[in-house]
Amino acid sequence: MFKNIVCFCLAFGACLQLLAQTKVSALDEESNIYHRVFDAPLTESVSGQKGFLSQQYERKPLILALVYTRCTGICSPFLLQLKDDILFNLRDSSFRVVVLSFDPRDSKADMNSLQKRFGLEGNSQWLFATTDSIRSLNTSIGFAPVWDSLRKQYNHEALLVGINSGGYITKKLIGMRSSHDLEKMVTSIHNVFSPSYRLPGSSTLFSCFNYDPKSGRSTPGLGLLFVGLPAGLALLIVILLRLMVRKQTPAVPDK
Amino acid sequence: MESQGMKKITSVWIITILMLFVVSIVLGILMRLNQGGVIQEQTLTFYSNLTTHGLTMIGIWFVAGMMAVNYLMQRYVRTSFAVNLTALIFTVIGVLLLWLSTFAGKFNAAWTFLYPLPFKDFGASSWATTLFLISLAVFGIGWFIWCISLMANILKKYSLAEAFAWQHLRKEHKTDTPPFILITTVTLIGIITCLIAAVIIIVLFFAEMLSQGRFVNDALLMKNLTYFFGHTIANEMLYLGLAVIYELFAEVSGRPKWKTTWYVSLAWNCSLVFILTAFFHHLYMDFVQPEGLQIVGQLASYLASLPAAGVTVFSVFIAVYRTKIKWSLTNVLFFMGIAGWVIGGLGAVIDATITNNVVLHNTLWVPAHFHTYNAMGNVLFSLAFFYWFSTQSLENIRLSTAAKGLLVTLLIGGIGFLLAFYIGGSDSVPRRYSNYPASLKEAKPLALMGASFAIVYLIAILSFFYNISRRCLKILFASA
Repeated sequence: MFKNIVCFCLAFGACLQLLAQTKVSALDEESNIYHRVFDAPLTESVSGQKGFLSQQYERKPLILALVYTRCTGICSPFLLQLKDDILFNLRDSSFRVVVLSFDPRDSKADMNSLQKRFGLEGNSQWLFATTDSIRSLNTSIGFAPVWDSLRKQYNHEALLVGINSGGYITKKLIGMRSSHDLEKMVTSIHNVFSPSYRLPGSSTLFSCFNYDPKSGRSTPGLGLLFVGLPAGLALLIVILLRLMVRKQTPAVPDK
Repeated sequence: MESQGMKKITSVWIITILMLFVVSIVLGILMRLNQGGVIQEQTLTFYSNLTTHGLTMIGIWFVAGMMAVNYLMQRYVRTSFAVNLTALIFTVIGVLLLWLSTFAGKFNAAWTFLYPLPFKDFGASSWATTLFLISLAVFGIGWFIWCISLMANILKKYSLAEAFAWQHLRKEHKTDTPPFILITTVTLIGIITCLIAAVIIIVLFFAEMLSQGRFVNDALLMKNLTYFFGHTIANEMLYLGLAVIYELFAEVSGRPKWKTTWYVSLAWNCSLVFILTAFFHHLYMDFVQPEGLQIVGQLASYLASLPAAGVTVFSVFIAVYRTKIKWSLTNVLFFMGIAGWVIGGLGAVIDATITNNVVLHNTLWVPAHFHTYNAMGNVLFSLAFFYWFSTQSLENIRLSTAAKGLLVTLLIGGIGFLLAFYIGGSDSVPRRYSNYPASLKEAKPLALMGASFAIVYLIAILSFFYNISRRCLKILFASA
C-alpha cells in the first residue's frame, strides 16, 4: 500500500513537472537584449526621405520609441514625458530619438502632424517616421501590440528601445519611467555598463535584500535565510546521525 | 578489508568514469575547434555541448573522488555495498537524463544553469529545462544518500569530536584520528551542505515553473545558492582527492603512513568554514550584494587556500625531499596533481581578488584556472587511484619508460591546452563565446592551439583508459 502511494505521488509529480510552463513572465525588459535590431526601411515624416534604421544608428546611437497616432491611451503622455526628459533633464545630444509608428494605417502625414503637435518639427535630434516592415521590427525587439477590434485601439506597452551604434539592443524600458532610468539607457547605448536588476514585485517572496528607494538602503530579506539554511541543516543532520548510530559498534577494527 | 563486491563495483565506476571522460574531452575539443573556426557548430549545439561538458566533468570527478574514498574507507569502517550500487545507478540514470536534455532537448544554460537562463527561450525544447532539473535531482538524491551513508559509517566508530580530530589540538590524547577520516569528514559535511543548497535551488526553480507566474524568484538569491552549490562541490571534490593522497601517497612511496598532527587538524577544521563562504567571490559583479559579503568572499578565498593547500604541500614536500622514494606511476601522478592543484589554486586566488576580478571576470582566465586544478590536478589524483587500484595485485610496479612517455605526453598536452586559456585570459578574451568576433584577433589561433594540445592530452588519457579499463575488466570478471 505504502509503495503504491509513493509511486502515485512520484508519477503525479512527474506529470506536473512535464506540464509545467518553462517560460517565465516578468522578464519582458530582458527579452531580445543584445540581439541585433531589424534593419527596417524608414520613411521620414517631414521630408518623406527614404532610408534604413541602420543609417540612423550608424551615425549616432538611438532611442527608439514606438507609438501610433490614433492612440487614445498611453502614447501621448509617454511621448510628452520622453520629450521633457530629453530636452529639459538630460540635455544630451550624443544620441538620436526615432519615434516610429507601429500602426500600418499611419501615414507620413500623420506622423508629421504628431511631430508638430509636440513641437519637435525643427529638432534635428528627433526623427518621426513610418515603416512598411513593422512586423519584422516588432519581432526583433520583442514588441507585440494586440489589436482590439471593439475599441479600435491597440493594447500595447509604452516601449523604449536603446540601440547602440552596432545595431544591438542594449536596454529596454517598459512604461512611464523616471529620467534616472532614461539616463541608464543613454549610458547603455554608449556601451557603458549599465546595472539593471528586476524590481521585486509582490510575487517575489524571498528577496535576499529589500531595497528602499526612498532611503537608498537595503535591509536583509527572507531570502538570506535560504543562503544560511544549507549549513544549518547539514550540521543538524550530522548531529542527528551521530545520535542515531553511536550505540552501534564498528564492524571493522583499526588497522 | 576491501570486499570482492566492492572491488567489482569500483571497477565498474572506473570504467564508466573513464568512458564519460573521453566523451566530455571530445566535446571540449569540438568547442575549441568551433571557436577556432575549423568546424561550424550551430550556436545552440555549442551551448548544449558546453552544458554537457561542464556538468558531466563535474559529476564524474565528484563520483571518482567519492568512489575512491568509499573504497579506502573500508580500511577503517564497514561501508555499504548497496548504497554504493544505488549511487552508481542514480549517477548513470542522471547522466542519461542530462544527455537527453542537452543532446536531444538542446538545453543550453551551461552547467551553472544560472537563473533565469533556464527559462529563456534560446531554441531548446519545451521539456528540456524540466528534464535537466530532474536529472540534477536524480544526481542529488543518489549522492546525498551516499554521503549520508558514509558519514554514518564514520560516526559509528568516531564521535563527532574524534571525526574532526579535535583531540589532536590538545597535547595529550588517547585516540588517533587518521588524516583520511578527518579530511573525509570535513569534505562530506561540505558536500552535504552544498547538496542541500542544490535541493533548495531545484525546489525554487520548480516552484516558479509550476506557479504560472504567481511566484517569481529573486535573482540574487538564486545566484547565491547556485554558487554555494557549484563552487563548493567543485572544491570539495578536490578535497576527496586529497583524502586519497593522505591515505596512499606515503604507502605507495614506501614511507611511514602520515599521521594527524595538531596543525593538520586545525587546518582542515578551518578549511570547512572557509570553503563554505568562499563562493561569495562569484558575486563581485553583483552590485546589489552588500560590500561586506564581497569582502568575506575575498578573505575566505585567500584563507581557504592556505590551510589545506599549505599543509598538504608541506607534507608532500617533506615526504619527497632528500628521501628515497619508490616512484611509481601512482605517486608521480599524485605529485603532478598536487602541482596542478597549487598552480590552478593560485590562478583562482588571483581571480578572487576584487581588483583583479574587475579585469579577469568572465575572461578565459576563469576556465584557465579551473581546468588547471581539474584537468591537471583532480583528474591526476583520480587517475593515480585508478592505476593503484587496478595494479594492487601486481608486484614490482615500477615507472617504466612507456609510463614516462605517457606522463610526458599528458604534461605537454595539459600545459599547452591550459596555456592557450591563460594567454587568452590575460589578454581579456571573453569566455563562453561560441564564435569570436573579428576584433578579437588572437582568440581564434589560441582556440586552435588549445584544441591541438587537448588532442595530445586526449591521446594520453586514451592510453590510461585502455590500460586501466583492461585490468578493471579482469577484476570485474574474476571469480571470487
